[in-house]
Amino acid sequence: MKVDPEKCIGCELCVPVCPVGAILMEDDVAKVNEDECCECSACYRSEICAVDALVETPAKDMPWPRVIRAVLSNPRVESPDTRVPGRGTEEVKTNEVSGRVGPGFAGLAIELGRPGVGTRMSDVQKVTMAMAEMGAAFEAENPVTQWITDLKTGKLRDDILNEKSLSAIVECGFPIGKFKAAVERLREVVKQLNTVCSVVSAVKVSKDGSLATDPIFKELGITPRPNSKNNVGLGRPLFKFEEVE
Amino acid sequence: MTHTLHRQGTPESLSRDYPLVAVMAHGFNDKGGGPKLGRFLEICWKHGPVNLGDMKQGSVFTYDAADIYNNVSDTTIVECCFDDLNKVEAVLRDLKEEDLGVPVVVSGLIDKVGECCKKVGLEIHTVAQSLGVWGKTELLPSKEVLEITTMCGHAMVASHLVEKMIEDIKKGKTTAEKAAKKLAKPCECGIFNTTRATELLDKAAGK
Repeated sequence: MKVDPEKCIGCELCVPVCPVGAILMEDDVAKVNEDECCECSACYRSEICAVDALVETPAKDMPWPRVIRAVLSNPRVESPDTRVPGRGTEEVKTNEVSGRVGPGFAGLAIELGRPGVGTRMSDVQKVTMAMAEMGAAFEAENPVTQWITDLKTGKLRDDILNEKSLSAIVECGFPIGKFKAAVERLREVVKQLNTVCSVVSAVKVSKDGSLATDPIFKELGITPRPNSKNNVGLGRPLFKFEEVE
Repeated sequence: MTHTLHRQGTPESLSRDYPLVAVMAHGFNDKGGGPKLGRFLEICWKHGPVNLGDMKQGSVFTYDAADIYNNVSDTTIVECCFDDLNKVEAVLRDLKEEDLGVPVVVSGLIDKVGECCKKVGLEIHTVAQSLGVWGKTELLPSKEVLEITTMCGHAMVASHLVEKMIEDIKKGKTTAEKAAKKLAKPCECGIFNTTRATELLDKAAGK
């Protein structure tokens, strides 16, 4: 995102609209700090500028690696790898059809930068490497996974490490028996981050209605929030989980 | 895992907050899914949500609802948000009856959503739980602001804008209701709950 200094009238209305505070006033006109800008286009779409001084570069015209900022931060931009808009992943929204998270398995998603802080990909790499060390199965249909050069080490492409996005989701899973150790490792690695992360666990509900992760969280002293995201099983055709149990 | 999950607030406040999300499964049932997703939105709209949108088109705070649900593509994600669990129950009943085959997620207090599903003969299949925010939490804005900004999971609702709205309400320059509508606009997906935002803005402004 850029501001056309010839058009800007210095009204400052666009300044609070930026989710990461990347719009600043300089010499009485607004200016975008391009290093901090995540290319989310929230300012542009807000239509806050009365003189059309905000200049958006469409994602298709952005050079690599800057384009990953838009892929991860602009909800309207579809990931070219997964064809999913948002941050490029369906995760368990379609689990009854895709069978991504089955019995005996728990999904772990670490969304770096959320809520509202943003993240450099160098911080994302700290988490991908820690999870790889624990034997994570990375979700293939996720843009961050596509940028991992070696799934055994979790190393990301070098050319993206300084890129910044509003958030990026490291999406992986573990057999239930390894889940506790993975969460403990995550607790350690987040101490090295220069940002925040929102952490998610995902499991298929057991036949008796329980969640396989409940006893693990009790042991770890973690209380999940009372509001969860619940796939209500309306998708078709249903994945035949019994066949893999 | 993901944009409707990490909403913060008290259970009392969250009891009026139920975002619904629908997406086809890529490589499984996505071909020709656009009209089914559109029908999902049409059913939701019939039952009076506080917000509705399509990630690729925008929300009802920018576009007409019928224009949105008549132009849904196969590979998008569609959403709406309700402030009343009885309405969610009515939507689920219709969806079960029509059997669109569209994967649907209902976010909200798990006990309430579970009861609602049971009433219409559905069972929760898979659960994603928020384990909270970890890391450098000193970078976060205040709890009052987060309760509002986290209603847009893509972080399109800027904390500085919320703070400005609270100040404007305190000074009498705007009302909480108008501010909530203004804040809903950047949330492209249509999951920002304006009813809850109005309550939270009034509270934050000491009204």
